[in-house]
Amino acid sequence: MDRSMENMENHMERKATRRPQKEDRSFFTKKRGYMDYQILFLVITAFGFGIMMVYSASSYKAVSMGYANYYFALRQAEIGLAGLAGMLFVSKINYRWYKNISRILIFICIVLQLIALSGVTGGESHGASRWIYIGSIGFQPGEIAKIAIAIYTAHICVSDPKNVESLVGLAKSVWPMVILMGLIAVENLSTAVICFVIMVVTIFVACRDLKPLAIMFMIAGVVGVILILTKGYRGARILSFFGKGTEAGDYQNEQALLTIGSGGLFGKGLGQSIQKLGFLPESHNDFIFAIICEELGLFGAICVIALFATLVYRMVYVAFHAPDSFSGLLLTGIIVHISLQAIINICVVTGLVPNTGVPLPFISYGGTSLLFLLCEMGIVLNISRQIKFKVKKTAPGAKG
Amino acid sequence: MYIKDNVLDFLTIRQKNRLKIYILCFTLVLIIATGRLWLVMVKNGDEYTDNATEVQERERSIKAPRGNIYDRNGNVIAANKAVCQISVIRRQIKDEETVIKKLSELLQIDESIVRKKVSKKSSREIIKANVEKETADEIRNLGLDGVVVDEDFSRYYPYDTMASKVIGFTGGDNQGILGLEVSYNDYLTGKNGSINTTTDASGMKIEKNLERRVEPEAGNNLYTTLDINIQQYIEQKALEVKELRNANRVCIIVMNPQNGEIYGLADVPEYNLNEPFVLNYDHAGDTTMDMLNEMWRCFCISDSYEPGSTFKIVTATTAFENGVLNETDNFFCPGYKIVEDRKIRCHKVVGHGSETFREGIMNSCNPVFMEVGARIGVDNFYEEFDKLGLFSKTGIDMPGEATSIFHKKENVGNVELATMSFGQSFQITPIQMIRTVSCVVNGGKLVTPHFGLYVSDSNNNIIERLEFEEEENVISSETSQRMRNLLRDVVAEGTGHNAYVEGYDIGGKTATSEKLPRRSGKYIASFIGFAPVDEPQVLTLILIDEPQGVYYGGTIAAPAVGDIYKNILPYLNIEREEVSDEEEIIYIPDTVF
Repeated sequence: MDRSMENMENHMERKATRRPQKEDRSFFTKKRGYMDYQILFLVITAFGFGIMMVYSASSYKAVSMGYANYYFALRQAEIGLAGLAGMLFVSKINYRWYKNISRILIFICIVLQLIALSGVTGGESHGASRWIYIGSIGFQPGEIAKIAIAIYTAHICVSDPKNVESLVGLAKSVWPMVILMGLIAVENLSTAVICFVIMVVTIFVACRDLKPLAIMFMIAGVVGVILILTKGYRGARILSFFGKGTEAGDYQNEQALLTIGSGGLFGKGLGQSIQKLGFLPESHNDFIFAIICEELGLFGAICVIALFATLVYRMVYVAFHAPDSFSGLLLTGIIVHISLQAIINICVVTGLVPNTGVPLPFISYGGTSLLFLLCEMGIVLNISRQIKFKVKKTAPGAKG
Repeated sequence: MYIKDNVLDFLTIRQKNRLKIYILCFTLVLIIATGRLWLVMVKNGDEYTDNATEVQERERSIKAPRGNIYDRNGNVIAANKAVCQISVIRRQIKDEETVIKKLSELLQIDESIVRKKVSKKSSREIIKANVEKETADEIRNLGLDGVVVDEDFSRYYPYDTMASKVIGFTGGDNQGILGLEVSYNDYLTGKNGSINTTTDASGMKIEKNLERRVEPEAGNNLYTTLDINIQQYIEQKALEVKELRNANRVCIIVMNPQNGEIYGLADVPEYNLNEPFVLNYDHAGDTTMDMLNEMWRCFCISDSYEPGSTFKIVTATTAFENGVLNETDNFFCPGYKIVEDRKIRCHKVVGHGSETFREGIMNSCNPVFMEVGARIGVDNFYEEFDKLGLFSKTGIDMPGEATSIFHKKENVGNVELATMSFGQSFQITPIQMIRTVSCVVNGGKLVTPHFGLYVSDSNNNIIERLEFEEEENVISSETSQRMRNLLRDVVAEGTGHNAYVEGYDIGGKTATSEKLPRRSGKYIASFIGFAPVDEPQVLTLILIDEPQGVYYGGTIAAPAVGDIYKNILPYLNIEREEVSDEEEIIYIPDTVF
């Protein structure tokens, strides 16, 4: 902390201005040096810890599927390292440039989502075609959509702030996102909900008048209930949460609780989980937090929660001091994305909310999710690079 | 703070506050989640851990054999037989339908019941216990996945019906249900061992986890005071009497009056311990629980009856103890005695006339005892009852002992006192009767009737001698001596003469009590007898419930005891006395002269 502050101080002296300058729309950030190393450190920690836990949770499954025990962990590490490289690359890209592509990004996502829904690339996972396959590599366009929506929402809020404060203007602004979310909701309601919350919270933070947003929220609520009722397994999952469901839905939650409960204060020790031996489905994926609880105990679980809390608080810190409104709102979207996924995942695993397929950011096994999350963190880092500092009037040798 | 002063912020205060609202919500949810984790992991952690272990572990239990029950000479009267237990492990089942079909077919259980058990969520479900070995082998040979056959023990009683009401039997879980199997259950029950294997979800053993093996501990053996020879003989005798007299039930208890050890307890009809749920008589229609309870019931312990004339022993003892009676006291019996407004009859309608007390007891004369009872008075009478253990349970080592029913002391008027003095208007259990009489004849020691002798471990080393309460000097040894002499006379010359066995010195008392309601023509004929008189070694009580035809205790009960003594006294090595010279018939062969 102290060191980064010192860094900032130095940079501040070199290049700092109070007066708004002409917006820098260049592709790469010219500025070099400082970025928020705390965030970088927390992300790498979470990712490294994730690989360790994925290895622990998946080795049994890997072996029983006929792979080497490190199969899943290795894949996670490969994608993660690519993601880290991506993150560092993205951290060089000037976040302002995204304004140019925000609308196109939404349309690309719509197209990708349509491709996924059509199923032309083949493959079915988890009973819903939310995947696109390129050769043997599959990815979920929903993951890109989250970033696209964060960017687009921030953009519409700053490009014409008055527009989003009237109902008509808001509707005109958000319609591409509504289409995208609708398409996502067909097969993956939880992602659609996350997208929706990213959008709503960003507008909530940006707008002065909240009435149009409230109306939109209510409409979305009605649509959401209809979607839940029309899709078979969703209703079943919610029913099972209230104890009236089918055995299959119950089983996962029940096993998750058994898994967590057998952890105790300090857990069974790394690698000692028994529940991962096929008792707990998705143990390396959506339910990896349960395995963390079993192996590392309440202590480990609180460490993970603290890790996410620190990361989020640090991002809020960057958002508060963001170089312009766009970056502040863009950060808001990203904060919502990561924090919301973390709490939904933890709440699902601990049985506080019905079962949804939301992974734990940075830690759960899952290529697309990890890759895009890391790239997203690259955006955060880039914004942190561009924090503008006031001229320290008292500082000697400061330039005006 | 430091930084803030130096950084240009572009979000407005309002926007920052809005973001803070969201972060506040986020923090709140994290706190709730942490609380939830604490609840699941620490507060209720043990419960979840146990449930998880149950799911994860395949426990194969190693059944501990239940201890044997022996008679006093080491003959096995309850043992174990190897049987099998069939259970299913749901996760290992591959072909559910075949499993259900085959199991219901071979085990003869309804398919729907098997299906219910197979589809239960538990990791392991017992389909049927106590399966015969051949059937179990057949199932094992089918090699069905997910079906487990475990060796088990089932109780086996080599003598089927012998002493059924005493020994009792066990349930499917090898826990005692009745009789000694219940009262000594803790000794007999072993501790099951187990092999706990931690498995993965498909039920496969995890190599690295060691098996936890807990060795079973066999149950301890119980040696009882029963003697199978005496037991079998008295059962045979009881059956004989039952057939002969067409009686409802015949009970015989043979006890050592010196220490309360019961050599035999017959309560015919007995039932087959190996098939305790099959009625021991023909009955069309369903077997109800009441019928089974009635069949299993041990009359001698769980039922009370009016003792009738045998109770005169207690009256006489009380009178001697209180110093209000001498053997030579004179009484007159006109065939009845008027007490207050009632005329209470003697069994001999014409009366016994003038008689001493000694003759009165030999004749079992009611007016004599009413007179004696009046001399004693209620207070002394009740005090003596209490001393002789008639108000309390005997403490016999059997479940379900009944208590006596007496009038409340303040309700006892002269009429009640009179009837009580010859054994009517109250109820005691047969086991109380035999305990009280043993106290009278053994010199004044109140013993606890019992079956337990000692407990031995699986290697037959004695680990515990079973002790039972004894109370010395309840009555004086002098009173005891006088009572023994009087009771010897009852057998030698009085109503009990049918119990006389040549060469043995036997004492006893007969009784014939009319069952309630009176005038129903239902009687209990009984006789209580002991031998030898000077130092009693065997005390025998026989009850014949509802005999047809002749119902006098002296006529039908006494000879049975005579027969029993003829056989068991030599068996117990009680020396036969030389028959005195003057009574001995000397055969002088003709050829000598």
